[in-house]
Amino acid sequence: MLLSNLLDAKSILHESRILSKEQVYRLLVERICHHRKLPICGEGLVQLILQRDSQSSTAYPTGIAIPHIRMEDFHDTVIGMAFLQNPIDYEGTKVEWVCLVITDKSSSNIYLNLVAALLKLSKDAPLIRELGELRDGHAVVQRLHKMEIQIKREITLGDIMISEPITISADARLSELGAIFSSRGLTSLPVVDNNNRYLGEVNILHLLKVGVPDYLMMLDNVSFLRSYEPLEKLFEQEDTLTVREIMSRDEEYLNPDTSIPEVVFEMIQHHKRFFSVVDDSGKLVGVVTASDIFRKVIKA
Amino acid sequence: MTLMLIALAIFGVTYLLIITEWINKMLAAMMGGFAIVLTGIVHQKIAFAAIDWNVIFFLIGMMMVISVMRQTGVFMYLAIKLAKIAKGKPLTIMILMFLLTTFISAFLGSVTTIMILVPIVLLVASELKISPIPFIITMVIASNGGGAATMIGDPPNILIGSATEYNFLDFMINLTPPVLMITLFSTGLIWLLYQKGMHVSNENRAKLMSYNEKHLIKNKKLLIICGIVLILMLIALSLQSVLKIETATIAMTAGLFLLVISDRKKVEHILANDIDWVTIFFFMGLFMIVESLVETGFISLIAKNIMNITHGEPRTTSMVILWVSGVFSAVIDNVPFVAAMIPVIKQLGTMINNPEAMHPVWWSLALGTCLGGNGTMIGASANIVAIGIANRNGYHISFKEYTKIGAIFTLLAIIISTAYILMRYFR
Repeated sequence: MLLSNLLDAKSILHESRILSKEQVYRLLVERICHHRKLPICGEGLVQLILQRDSQSSTAYPTGIAIPHIRMEDFHDTVIGMAFLQNPIDYEGTKVEWVCLVITDKSSSNIYLNLVAALLKLSKDAPLIRELGELRDGHAVVQRLHKMEIQIKREITLGDIMISEPITISADARLSELGAIFSSRGLTSLPVVDNNNRYLGEVNILHLLKVGVPDYLMMLDNVSFLRSYEPLEKLFEQEDTLTVREIMSRDEEYLNPDTSIPEVVFEMIQHHKRFFSVVDDSGKLVGVVTASDIFRKVIKA
Repeated sequence: MTLMLIALAIFGVTYLLIITEWINKMLAAMMGGFAIVLTGIVHQKIAFAAIDWNVIFFLIGMMMVISVMRQTGVFMYLAIKLAKIAKGKPLTIMILMFLLTTFISAFLGSVTTIMILVPIVLLVASELKISPIPFIITMVIASNGGGAATMIGDPPNILIGSATEYNFLDFMINLTPPVLMITLFSTGLIWLLYQKGMHVSNENRAKLMSYNEKHLIKNKKLLIICGIVLILMLIALSLQSVLKIETATIAMTAGLFLLVISDRKKVEHILANDIDWVTIFFFMGLFMIVESLVETGFISLIAKNIMNITHGEPRTTSMVILWVSGVFSAVIDNVPFVAAMIPVIKQLGTMINNPEAMHPVWWSLALGTCLGGNGTMIGASANIVAIGIANRNGYHISFKEYTKIGAIFTLLAIIISTAYILMRYFR
C-alpha cells in the first residue's frame, strides 16, 4: 500500500499564519468533513482530538505531530495534513507538520505502519521543507507518489523510543543519582561511559538495596523488624558510594531494530518495564518504558 | 590392575576438583561418575545400581519437610526469642545460639540450620554493633556437633545409616551421649574463650529488645501440623525395625504430605528452589565413582592394609578409624571421605567376621567424620556455607582465624569421643 494512495489532496493545507494547536485541528477537521461524511464531525471531533492530546503528547522530536482518532463503524483511514510555516509548541517540541489520522476502532495495523512511514519521512528535514514550500495539496501527493513510500514497513523500537535520554555516569555519586530520580520522577537510568557507551542500568531498587545488607535478604521474613538503622542511614552513604558499585551490569537491553511485539514480549518475559536501547556498536541510543509502548502504540 | 589405576586416577582428579572447587562440585562428581562408565571400568547398570536411592530420596524428602517448616517461621522465632531471653548479652546469646544450633542440626541437618540461623545472627550482631565472626564460628561447630548426634543430622550419618542396619534409635543410643558431653564441654570452652571483650551499649540492646517476634508465626495451623508430622516421622524412624519401612519412604511420606497440604502457589517454587538438586546429583555422582573403586578391588586393598596394621583388633581398629577420619574430614569435605570409607569398613566387617566387634568401628567413623569436619573451614558443607554467607556480608573469616578456634573444639571433641568409645565399648 502506497502512502500517496491514502492521501486526499483536498485535506492537505499549508499555513503561514501564526495559529494555535486548536486552530490547526479545527481547520483540518473542516477540510476533511467538507467532502467526507464521518460518524463524528465538527466541533465534537475537534474536542475529541484535544482531549486525546491532553492524555499524552502526540508530538515527536523530528517536528511531526500525529494526533489520532479511532471511530466506531468507520471502515476507512483518512489523513489530514497541515504544513506550518510558524511551528506550534507541543510542550517543548516544535511541530511544523501535523498529520491528523482518523481510523476505524479495529484498524490499528494500518495505523501503526502509517505512523512508522510518517515518522521516517519526518526525519528527512529537507524533504519536509520542500513539501511545505509546495503550497498545494496535489503537488504534495504527487511528490510523495513519486517517492513510492510503502506503508508496510513494521514500526520498530527505534521509531518510538525516547532518543537522547537522561543518562548517568558510572562514577557519579549516589547523591547525584538520587537527585535525578527525585527531580525527574524517573525510576531507572542507563549507565554510560564518557563516549556514551552502554555499561549497565541503575534503578531505584539498587539505591534502596544500599540500606539492605545481603543477610537481611536471606531471612525468610522480616516482619519482626519495626525499624532498621542501615535503611534509615542510607543517605549517609550517598557521597561515598558511586553508581558503579550498585548498578546492574547484566540487565537485558534491546536493539533499535526490535519489533514492537518483541519489545512487549521481552518486557513481560523479564518483568522489566524499562529497557535501554543499544545499537550494534554498543552505544546507547535511547530508552523505552512499558508506558511508552502502551501510550504510543497500543492505546494510540 | 590397569583398571584399578585408571579408576584411581579418575577418583583422584574428581576428588581434587571437589576439594578445590575449581569447577562446580556436582559437575565434578557427575563427570567422574560417567567417566568410569565411559572408560568401561564399571558397566552403566552396575554404576546406576550403586546409587543409594535410600539416601537420595531421604534427602529429597527431608528437603521438602524443611522447606515447609521454614514457611512457619518457627526457627526465626526461636532464634529471636532466645536473643531476647538473653537480654541482648553477647556471651549469653552466643551460648544459647550454640545450643539452639546443636539442637536444630540434630533434626534438620547442619547445612539447613546454618542457612537459617547465620543470617539472623548477622542481624543481631549488627544491631548490637559487635563482630559476628565468633558467633558464626561457634555455630558452625555446633551444627556439626549436633548433626553427629542423630542419623539424620549430618550427611555422613545419613550415608552410614543407609549403608548399615543401624536405625534412628541405634544412632541416638550410641551417638547422642557423646555429643551431649561434647556440647557441655564446648559450652564451657566458649565461656572461657569469649567471656571478655564483647560490650554492648544500652541503646543497642534496647533496639534488639524491641523486635516483635510474634509477627513471625503467621500460620499457626501449619506450624502445629508440621510439628505433628516431624514427631511422627521421628517415631517412625525409631521404630523402623518393627515397622519395616526404610528411611527414604518415611521422609518422602512426610515431605509429600506437607507439600500437598501447604500453599499450592508455593509448591512449584519449593520443587524448583528449595530442593537442592545440585546436592542430590552430587551424591549420585559420588556413589558411582566409589563403586569403581569397589569393583576394581582398591577398597579391599585398603581394607587389607588396615587389617595388617590393626590385626583386626576392634579396639585398635576403632581408634585408627576415629582419628584418621577426624584428621581427613578436617582437611577434605567429609561427605566424599565417608562415601569412600563406608565400603572399606564393610570390607573390614567381612574380614573380621564378628558383627558385634564392628559396632564401635562404625560409631568411630560417624564421630570422626562428623566432628572432624569442624577442624578447618573446608571440613564440612556447613562450614563452607557459613563462611560464604559471612563473606558476602563483608566479614572475611580467614583460614587461620577459623582453624585457630575450630581445631581446639575438634581436638576436644575427638578426645571426648576417644574416651567415650573406650569406656563404652571396651571396658
